[in-house]
Amino acid sequence: MILGRVVGTLWSTRKDARLGSSKLLLVRPYFYYNPTHETELVVAVDTVHAGVGDDVVLCLGAPARWSLGSVNLPVDAAVLGVVDRCQLQRTAFGTRRGGAGAAAQPLGFIGGDPPAGVEWI
Amino acid sequence: MLLARVVGSVWGTRQAPGLEGYRLLVVRPLRMSGADAGPGSVEDVEPVADGTEHLRPDDGVLVVVDHLGAGPGELVLVAHGSRCRDLTLGESVPTKEVTVAIVDRADVSAGARI
Repeated sequence: MILGRVVGTLWSTRKDARLGSSKLLLVRPYFYYNPTHETELVVAVDTVHAGVGDDVVLCLGAPARWSLGSVNLPVDAAVLGVVDRCQLQRTAFGTRRGGAGAAAQPLGFIGGDPPAGVEWI
Repeated sequence: MLLARVVGSVWGTRQAPGLEGYRLLVVRPLRMSGADAGPGSVEDVEPVADGTEHLRPDDGVLVVVDHLGAGPGELVLVAHGSRCRDLTLGESVPTKEVTVAIVDRADVSAGARI
């Protein structure tokens, strides 16, 4: 699954009929997760009434279709949850505010900043 | 799924059985614009008032099979995988990328950054 921020919404009239009235969200991942194409934005079907600005968890592939209740949907990404709280281990991300001698980040965030309201442990 | 702008088409006389009759579109996935957006690409697509003013084309391109009739300049939603292919085009089409929607409008806030 991928942690990302909802940054937009899409509307479409001409589309595959099985997409129906699904709400489509534009999500910017914080990390890449086995991308088929390294892209900065993912479009996912909303199942949890997420809105722009929310941090969400989404998944790709067949599990995304399972979450929508049918495998007969031409969909490969779905938002499965809205993140209320997020704890991250600081050492896994290197030192961001370490001053002049700061170590390079072993694992960075796409866009540079961590999720809003992150609690470092 | 990817949000992408159609920038062209490709044709082939000799192609794999199953691809005949389908249009192959060249698309560029969109990414966030702005200073934090990483290595840049030249803005070579005219801005369109469809809500993507804050996005810009990615450096890479992708060729997708189209069955909706999308044309150059339009925004499309591209789904990946054999399951999406089976459901839209059929099992005999040798592709993993297929257009599933033509996007009318995208609402992306200017301040949308992480």
